[in-house]
Formats: sequence, C-alpha cells, structure tokens
Amino acid sequence: MKRASKGDVIFDSIKWIFLAVVVFVTLYPFYYVLIQSLSQGMSALTDNVIFYPKKLTLENYIPFFTDEKWKTAIFISVFRTVTGTAIGLMFTCLVSYSLSFKDLAFRKFYFTILIISMYFSGGIIPYYMLLKNLNLFNTFLVYIIPGALNIFFVMVGISFFREIPQELFDSAHVDGANDFIIFWKLVLPVSKPFLATIALFLGVEHWNAWFDSAFFVQKPELKTLSFLMMQIVNKNQISGSVSAGAAAYKSSMITSFSLQSAAMIIAVLPIICVYPFLQKYFVKGMMIGSVKG
Amino acid sequence: MSGTVSRNHKSSGVWRTFRKQKIPQTFAILGIIYLLIFSYVPMSGLIMAFKNYNISLGVMGIFTSDWVGLKHFKAFVNDINFWTIIRNTVALSFLKLIFAFPMPIIFAVMLNEIKQNKIKRCIQTISYLPHFISWVIVSGLAINFLATDNGLINQMLIALGLIKDGIPFLTSAGHFWPLAVVLDVWKDMGWWTIIFLAAITGIDPSLYEAADIDGASRFSKILKITIPGIRGTIAVVLILALGNLFGGGLSGSNFEQSYLLGNAMNLEKSQIIQTYIFKVGLSNGRYAYATAIGLIQSVISLILIFGSNLVSKKVSDTSLF
Repeated sequence: MKRASKGDVIFDSIKWIFLAVVVFVTLYPFYYVLIQSLSQGMSALTDNVIFYPKKLTLENYIPFFTDEKWKTAIFISVFRTVTGTAIGLMFTCLVSYSLSFKDLAFRKFYFTILIISMYFSGGIIPYYMLLKNLNLFNTFLVYIIPGALNIFFVMVGISFFREIPQELFDSAHVDGANDFIIFWKLVLPVSKPFLATIALFLGVEHWNAWFDSAFFVQKPELKTLSFLMMQIVNKNQISGSVSAGAAAYKSSMITSFSLQSAAMIIAVLPIICVYPFLQKYFVKGMMIGSVKG
Repeated sequence: MSGTVSRNHKSSGVWRTFRKQKIPQTFAILGIIYLLIFSYVPMSGLIMAFKNYNISLGVMGIFTSDWVGLKHFKAFVNDINFWTIIRNTVALSFLKLIFAFPMPIIFAVMLNEIKQNKIKRCIQTISYLPHFISWVIVSGLAINFLATDNGLINQMLIALGLIKDGIPFLTSAGHFWPLAVVLDVWKDMGWWTIIFLAAITGIDPSLYEAADIDGASRFSKILKITIPGIRGTIAVVLILALGNLFGGGLSGSNFEQSYLLGNAMNLEKSQIIQTYIFKVGLSNGRYAYATAIGLIQSVISLILIFGSNLVSKKVSDTSLF
C-alpha cells in the first residue's frame, strides 16, 4: 500500500539533499587538505587548488622523513599512543572489573570516592602544581601516568561487566578457577565491545593530545606531533598571508601552509584507517555508557 | 581456597569478605589510591583560593600562608574582564545549545528515513569522522577555508564578485561566536546522532504501522511518533548541555576552541573563564587568584548539573542519576 504522494516526493528530495550536503561538507575539507598537501607549496598560494592538485609533488612530506624535529615528534606520538593506550586499557579494565563485584567489601566507600571525583576537581592550577611536584614535568611519563585512569571509562566498564551473566562465574567457580583465570579466560573474551571502545577512545585521545605537551613539557625532543601542528596552526592563523606563509623551509617551495596541510594528512590518516573498523563496537559501547552511565 | 570469590558471597564480617577478595580488592584499592593522588590532592590545593599564596612560597606555602577569606573572589567580580568573560562563556554554550543541539536530532530523523541499510551505515560512518579529529586539526581546516587572504571561502566569494576584500573570519571579534558554533556542529553532529538514532530504533514499530493504516504522511509520523518517542533521550542530552553551560558547552569544546582559535583580534569575544584561568594562572603566575576563579566555575557547574537534573526529574520523569 505504498503510494508516492506529492508530500512524500518533496520529503524525499529534502532528505537526500540534506544528507548529500552533510556528506560533502564532512568529506570535502579532508580532500581539500589532501590536494593542498600534494601541490607545490608556492603555486598553491597563487593558483586555486580546488578540485585536483596543481604541480603534483610529494615535496611537502619530505620534512616528516628528514627533519629531526618532525621525525622525533612522530615517534613520540606513536610511542605514547601505543604505551598510553595499553596501560590505560589495562588499568581501566582491572579497576572497573574489580569494582563491578556486587559483594565487594567497602564497595560504598570506593564508589563515594569515585563519584565525587567525577563531578568535582581541583582545577588546572593545583593539578599543574601536583604534576610539577611529582617531578613528572619534562618526562615521557607525564603523557602516560596522569591519564592512566579515566573515571568516566571506569563507570562505563562497571556497568558493562555487571551485564555478564552470573552463571558464567558460578560454573567456573565449580571448576575451581580463581579470579584471575576467570578474568583472563572468561571475562576478557566476552568484553570485546568494551575493550575496543576504550582502546579507540584512549588511542585517539593520546594521538590528538597537544595540551600536556604544551604546558608540562619544555624539552623539544619530547614534543608531540599534535603540539608541533598546534604551533603552525597558531602562526598561520594570525598571518594568513602569502608573504608570511612562505619560507617554512629555505631553498624549497614548501610554505607553512603546504607544510600544515601535509602534517594534517599525516595526523588524520591513522584515525581514518582505524575508526571504521571499530564502529560496530563503539556504537554499542557508547550506548552502554550513555544509557547506564 | 584463597583468592576464590563468589560474586554472591554472603558473609557475616566485612573483613572476612575483604580477605577473600584478594585480587579484586588489590585493583580496587590501586584505583582508589590513584584517584586520591590525581583528583583529591589537587582538591586540597583549592584552599589556595582563600589564602595569600604566591609561587615563591613553595608547595607547603599553600598550607602555611595567611588566610585572606574571599579576597580573590571579590577581586574577580571587580576584575575589568569579569563581565566579558562570563558573557562569552555563557553565550558560547548557549548558542551551541540553540544551534548545535537540534542538528543531530534532525540528522537522526533523516537517516532513519533511509530504507537502504548500506547507504545508511555508510553515511553514518562518514558523519562520525570529525569527532575523532583533534581541535588542532579542525583549527587547521578552519584556516585553510577561512583565512582572510587565501582561504577557500574568501577566494570564492571574491571570484563570485560578492565581496572585494576577504572577510576576517578568524581575526575579528564579530565572527568568533558563529565560527565556534559552526565548527562545533561540523565536528560533533554525527557523534550525537548515535544516541538519537539508537533511541529512534527503539520505538515500537506497531505505532508506525497503525499510522500507515490511518494514512498519515511521513512528516506527520515524524512529528507525532518519532519525536515524542525520543523525548527521554532529548531530555537527557539537554540536561548534559545545561550542566555544561558554565563549563565546556554541549560537547565540551569551549576551551580548545577559544584557546586554539582565540587571538588578540578576537579576544573580546573569545576569552572565556577557562582560558582566563590559564592566562592569569600559568602565564602571569597568580596561582591563588586563578584557583579562586576555577573554584567559582566548578561550584556553578555543579549547581547547574544537579539543578537541571532536578528540574528534569520533576517535569519529565527523566534524570541522569
């Protein structure tokens, strides 16, 4: 009993136009940056690069493989993303799994501590002083330790682990398995959606982080890719003109705009490659968090 | 057997249970110790806000320096920047609430009207992408598109003969608020859609079937079934947004936006409480003063979160906690 009334046709047209605009507005900026990064820097400033690269070149990517500053920053970013995600994931999992036990002694006390720190904090200045006095400034650990336990993820984890059917544990106990074996052999395998979600969020957070690199670290050899990008973006924002854009690297056609475009592509690429495959997990994971959190 | 725990264990003494829960207790306590260090120690630093503290006194100076009561709070209220900062903070969050909040609802409704599952999933996947991109990169994109001299949009407007000189989107005060809202919509519309789309999927299909028999148009089905069906979810997101009015705004983006896209030219519209705390605290070294401002913000945020939750509970029976 489907009939295409006039109203339906209009509605369908509006719907498709709206969705097409959303898709275009989302994707085109990335395409635009890509063709900018593949165009010769100097000519991209004067010619309009809108549909395809002008004077196709990979020159803008060279600094990321030759310049010590960029090479170190990429290494630091990759290294902190891998270790930070692994440690954060492990810690969040173990703590939230432990707190999900319904008969845990002192459970009320633990939850009070947890919930207060979710809604209230000392603010940035006392936090800054704490990290400074723990001697974490100017160390790689300042990227890893302060973010190792995210309270929100712990809450999501607790509600996730509580969903695991009790029978699973009961039968394991009958078999004489201890808590650790149960966690490793039973809990982790059924927790894939949660693990994948947290891993994705932690990974993206570490990869994108610039704040700690800007305020807690002065050593140039510890700066992250995201921080260096922030510096270029800050510079280009104010100048925004051809003359100031030129000469990011002498004796080349690279401008600070073309360099920025190449850096952006390098920073976005890992994210584009990873998130679509984790999508089915994080949609589920996010719903657990938002509905029950 | 030590280390073996029943999740339904009933014990007379809490310590006996405790001793039997070796492994979970170890990690629970580790987590609590971590929170005590990284959340509660900074909280104790809040007493700085009531003290005559300066950096030269060292850490212990926080506790030994003289009490000054509400001096720093009064100073903030009398600060020449006070009203500008409060206005900017609230205005940015409020504009996002008005413009960025309805977009994902509209988008979710439109997505739900797609019958082809593959296309639907594909569009949705694309729409999440900006959520995972950092604000640093979004600011970079903003420069690519909106720079006064060679930004794409200005170039196009000039080519079309609509303007003669580039519009200073990034370097003028008047453009900052719309810029922040537009970038927020671009970045997080797809993300918030996840929640609304899931809520729509949960609506009883028989309602639509009944409406079909009555010959209802698709538009009236949306207005009479879909939107009322996700009222609860809308209320929850609204509580979150109201609670964040004094903090980061709907998606928590106020600080990064104002910090990364704020500059001397748009300061009068881009400076918010969080960036001001940074400026007076970390750049000017007025720790006690900055801590006091931070405390005001935390307390107001807390009141807003619990207040909006309470109101929502009364009005619509929906609450976060």
